[in-house]
Amino acid sequence: MISANVSALDGSLYFTISLFFVLASFAGYFIFLFTGNKTIPKVSFGILIAGFIIQTAAFVVRWIYAYKIGIDTPPLVDLYDSMVFFAYVIIFGFILIRIFYDFDALGFIITLVASLALAFASFSPLAPSAVEPTIPALQSYWLIYHIMTLFVSYGAFGASFGLGILYLIKSGRKNKTGGWFLNLLPPSNIIEEAIYKVIVFGLVFLTAGIVIGAAWADSAWGGYWSWDPKETWSLITWLTYILFIHARFTKGWGGKKMAWIAVIGFAVVIFCYLGVDLILPGLHSYATPGSTPIL
Amino acid sequence: MKMLSKINKFFCSVKLAIFLFIAIAAFSMVGTFINQGDTTSQYRTIFGPEIYHILYWLGFLNIYGSWYFIGLTVLLIVNLVTASVNIFPHTLKAVFGPYPSFKEMMDKKSPKAAYEVVESKKNIEETKKVLNEKFGKPFSETETELYYSKNSIFRFSPYIAHLSIIIIIIGVILNVKYGFRSYTNIKVGEKTDVSYLTKNQKPVKLPFTIRLDNYQTKYYKDGIPKSYISKISIIKNHVSVAEKNIEVNHPFTYGGITIYQASYGHYRPTVAKLLIVNLKNRKLEKAVYAEFGKLYDAGINNIKFRFIPYKRPKRGEIPFFIELGNKRILKFNVLPYKNKSMPLIFAKYHDAVFLYTGVKSYYYSGVEITKNAYTSVIWLGSIILITALFFSFFFNHVETWVKLSGSKDGKKTSMEILSVPKKKFESFYKNFDKIIAKIKKDLG
Ligand code: HEM
Repeated sequence: MISANVSALDGSLYFTISLFFVLASFAGYFIFLFTGNKTIPKVSFGILIAGFIIQTAAFVVRWIYAYKIGIDTPPLVDLYDSMVFFAYVIIFGFILIRIFYDFDALGFIITLVASLALAFASFSPLAPSAVEPTIPALQSYWLIYHIMTLFVSYGAFGASFGLGILYLIKSGRKNKTGGWFLNLLPPSNIIEEAIYKVIVFGLVFLTAGIVIGAAWADSAWGGYWSWDPKETWSLITWLTYILFIHARFTKGWGGKKMAWIAVIGFAVVIFCYLGVDLILPGLHSYATPGSTPIL
Repeated sequence: MKMLSKINKFFCSVKLAIFLFIAIAAFSMVGTFINQGDTTSQYRTIFGPEIYHILYWLGFLNIYGSWYFIGLTVLLIVNLVTASVNIFPHTLKAVFGPYPSFKEMMDKKSPKAAYEVVESKKNIEETKKVLNEKFGKPFSETETELYYSKNSIFRFSPYIAHLSIIIIIIGVILNVKYGFRSYTNIKVGEKTDVSYLTKNQKPVKLPFTIRLDNYQTKYYKDGIPKSYISKISIIKNHVSVAEKNIEVNHPFTYGGITIYQASYGHYRPTVAKLLIVNLKNRKLEKAVYAEFGKLYDAGINNIKFRFIPYKRPKRGEIPFFIELGNKRILKFNVLPYKNKSMPLIFAKYHDAVFLYTGVKSYYYSGVEITKNAYTSVIWLGSIILITALFFSFFFNHVETWVKLSGSKDGKKTSMEILSVPKKKFESFYKNFDKIIAKIKKDLG
């Protein structure tokens, strides 16, 4: 356990505090689903925005701290940093969607995913929060563009996952009468359109992120593509979403199948993001020089 | 003929594309669970000989180069080209016409269509004017019919996206054909003009010679490596033409060939430095760089000696000894000197003292040497791809037909408005309703 002193200096304390805001927001959205009380999601959204502001401040503190202890590249590469950044991006994505669409029902899934990511980062021993110097392979400004674009896409895919779940809940209950919160959900066709738009937004960024990664590898490690597990899984993720956009042209593939692809697609994203680092190195314990780290 | 159209239908089906996406993803997955590109003996120890043979036979040990992986990719390209070519005339017509008439479109009964009848209190000409304000400039116009088309040019974006995939694949093929990736270790102070291909360890001759002048690891305060730096010189016709420090993330390109810092290490030492002191006059007689096992002259009383490391040194014992010319063995002793970390290690024979001052080890730098030919084609294709994706996704082609019929007195007009989007979005229908409401307000 690190002392409160250090965690205040390096910003991790504020991420932990933001976790409690996101959790409170989640509780609100959850209650909303059961009661349908319209003021609760407004309060929840306010709390979430407060949490988001705290996170923004935490990033600033952390980056300045890293800079002060002599690390030139912003801390984004550790499991801890990437987890909190992931939570940050998907909350940001939800805030954007919420401004343009009336999507309170999405809140409980987004805040749940964000809380899980933040809780994992804050409390799992797998993700220590200390700011570590960057290893030589990662000392490059490509890193920032690479990670930022990919995280925007991960955030979008996270949101599409939430939307996919909502769609499936809604269509699964179509034939049953009543349903306390079905009426709170937006109509299926609106969710369907939102799934498409959020996914293609993510897909543009995913493509850009992969290309930037390849260009970086080309300028740093001896080749634009080496089929290392991380690269390969990013290609698999890309193929999954390319499949999604084409599946729409297949006769008989309705909204339900598309929603399933959105859900499965996010599982692939999560495996690409975490599974590759946590599971695959254990399967074949090798470390190629310069192999891609987290991300 | 019938056969041909069947084949054609097979190759342009999106279902085939979906199958191919899944198949390629699945085989790629296999490659991440089975380590690719290890040596045969490594595979045999991991899997055992039987499973190794099965995996080898399945092509799972070099999956990305296997005939079926390449075959699937080729099939994907054929699929993509056939599908694009087949529907291209349809798209051309949608963009440049001749556009279908209102009646033709009504008869089609598209499930995506939005349809509304609006009565206008104005005559045909004035009604048209208001419609043009709402829908933009008509693409075609007759006395009683108007045709509007919005974002039609973006119908080409998917084709450009498909084309960019072909450009990228062409770039990759050219790169594989005309470029290479290789790796070699260079000892500090030595030079080489040969490197070894990453894919099969075959040697390639470089168009120049690389000399490693120096190697250095820099550390952060807490001992984590900060940078690995190799100072290299490029030598052509025995003349050094370029000098450069390379680091991870900072390679050096010369004549189309890029040299990357990839690894480092040191060879097992083969030389020890010994100082030989004559006890009689307390003079330093000689410094010898003794290659392990080789016979040297101590320069005192004709003493000959070899420096030999133990094959299996015991714990806590000094792991080397001296064998004299007469086969006598001299053990080394340790004398604490000044502080414990700098003891004196010596062996004595009559007047001669052998002082051990360390082994000489040679650092080497592992460098990747790559000829990345035609990568610019890949980057060009990628940029086109990203742009085309953006325009495919966010610009929805919308066509609108309006059929006007004036009343007998010419003062009123009845409008039938039919609008069909390329992509069936809920927002399209909302927007359509909004436009209709506005038209009703302005003309009703
Ligand atoms: C491998 C990479 C591929 C990429 C990046 C790609 C990209 C795209 C994009 C961006 C669209 C537009 C989708 C939309 O607007 O929602 C599209 C449409 C389409 N793609 Fe692909 N595609 C690929 C492979 C294929 C393959 C193998 C086929 C073979 C059947 C195919 C057939 C089609 C068809 C028929 C359309 C509809 C075109 C239209 O509506 O005008 N694509 N593709």
